[in-house]
Amino acid sequence: MAGNFWQSSHYQQWILDKQDLIRERQQDLAVLSEEEYQKIFIFFSNFIQVLGEHLKLRQQVIATATVYFKRFYARNSLKNIDPLLLAPTCLFLASKVEEFGQISNSRMINTCQGVVKTKFGYAYPQEFPYRANHILECEFYLLENLDCCLIVYQPYRPLLQMIQDIGHEDQLLSLAWRLVNDSLRTDVCLLYAPYQIAIGCLQIACVIQQKDGLKSWFAELNVDIDKIQEITRYIVNLFELWKSYNEKTEIHSLLAKMPKAKPQSNR
Amino acid sequence: MQKYEKLEKIGEGTYGTVFKAKNRETLEIVAMKRVRLDDDDEGVPSSALREICLLKELKHKNIVRLYDVLHSEKKLVLIFEYCEQDLKKYFDSLNCDIDMNIVKSFLYQLLRGLAFCHNNNVLHRDLKPQNLLITRSGELKLADFGLARAFGIPVKCYSAEVVTLWYRPPDVLFGAKLYTTSIDMWSAGCIFSELANNGRPLFPGTDVDDQLKKIFKVLGTPTEESWPGVTQLPDYKPFPIYVPNLNLPQMVPRLNIKGRDLLQKLIVCRPSGRISADEAMAHPYFHDNPRPAPKTK
Repeated sequence: MAGNFWQSSHYQQWILDKQDLIRERQQDLAVLSEEEYQKIFIFFSNFIQVLGEHLKLRQQVIATATVYFKRFYARNSLKNIDPLLLAPTCLFLASKVEEFGQISNSRMINTCQGVVKTKFGYAYPQEFPYRANHILECEFYLLENLDCCLIVYQPYRPLLQMIQDIGHEDQLLSLAWRLVNDSLRTDVCLLYAPYQIAIGCLQIACVIQQKDGLKSWFAELNVDIDKIQEITRYIVNLFELWKSYNEKTEIHSLLAKMPKAKPQSNR
Repeated sequence: MQKYEKLEKIGEGTYGTVFKAKNRETLEIVAMKRVRLDDDDEGVPSSALREICLLKELKHKNIVRLYDVLHSEKKLVLIFEYCEQDLKKYFDSLNCDIDMNIVKSFLYQLLRGLAFCHNNNVLHRDLKPQNLLITRSGELKLADFGLARAFGIPVKCYSAEVVTLWYRPPDVLFGAKLYTTSIDMWSAGCIFSELANNGRPLFPGTDVDDQLKKIFKVLGTPTEESWPGVTQLPDYKPFPIYVPNLNLPQMVPRLNIKGRDLLQKLIVCRPSGRISADEAMAHPYFHDNPRPAPKTK
């Protein structure tokens, strides 16, 4: 739905306040450091991305699923639902909402099993433990926690419009597009409007490609510069973290440390 | 689920049964739609999800409100605002001619709800009297968005066969895959005529061929001249050439001249020739007293 963002549930209910976000995470941050918490979310964003690509889903669907995932844990502790179950459930729900061909539950489970084995064995040496009925139950729980707000606005469309406005800049577009994908590994999708994220990513892309000529174009935009600065800082911080981080060696112990659901109930 | 007490059954929707129910705390009467979840592979049906996510975004006085979504074991329950009846039942309960001011008011509210949907890039796709709810105070609300979809995202084709036959435009009957807002405008025209005729449907076809024949006998068989591209539609086939025989005074005898003019602008075979919801609301038919509704913006 390409309706009016300012009247959407995304704008009215799901642009969160940074302080609230920190408060909601207190329970998990008693066990994990902020950096460890972020690393876990980077891992699961990657998991959703790889899973989505294996299912041949469009980036829009993958991005929506990632936002569902982040919204859920913005209101819940990691121990409420195992993220390894929530991640495929988010993709399952997003594929239906974005109407890009429904993925059957059994295909989802098969793909999870395959992807965990071939791509994420370093994090999960055991077999993918969930079955179709777990995803169905989890879907209800997800729907409820999202308060049924399923339409998510993404930065891709405003990005395309801006690139069109600037003129044909294919390299700039593809770099900025990848930066938007990277931004899903930060909290920006919970804190800022999609068009602001698009501007932030475009700005970083211009710096990387040394497009000084676009300074006047940015100067003419009627936006809150402070917000754009905050967004670019989030993304630059992500790059800093990546420089010194080896997921393959670290994630297994991080997942072991993560707060978990009690084994008896599967919630 | 204890929050609501189930009362009698009201009807069957696209994907589940609808009951009247009462909120035990506030005593408010609501409509409760139970979603069947028989397909374990699909989970929550996409038609239900579509309705949930669109109604979550579309808040308007001429669109039915979704209050709550509840779930228990293997059921999903949607709680809607309750309306006394739908337009079909309203027609059935008429025992004299419908007041022409009510016709005007209902059509205006239908157009206002549609304009809001269309301006938010949502097509209803399944307008029919059963999907138009009427409250005791004469408000009309669009309901049953199970087939509605957002059209802003570029998608090549939309699934065929979505509108109940009688309210289906010829382009859809010929298998057109790219729908636009014009699909709802045709249906609005059919409903307008039905309103003005105390609930007698305009084109009550029995199958696709009969439906098209009924339409062409009145509006004339379209040609490449009158409708460029018609012969390229996926399910196009030639029909006998009927000349237009649009005798509006006979078709809708109780409708005034301005009303007939508006109807004529809605039921146009060529989709791009149909008037939009916004334009229709500005039509002189609504300028005459009594005005259909106080102008609120």
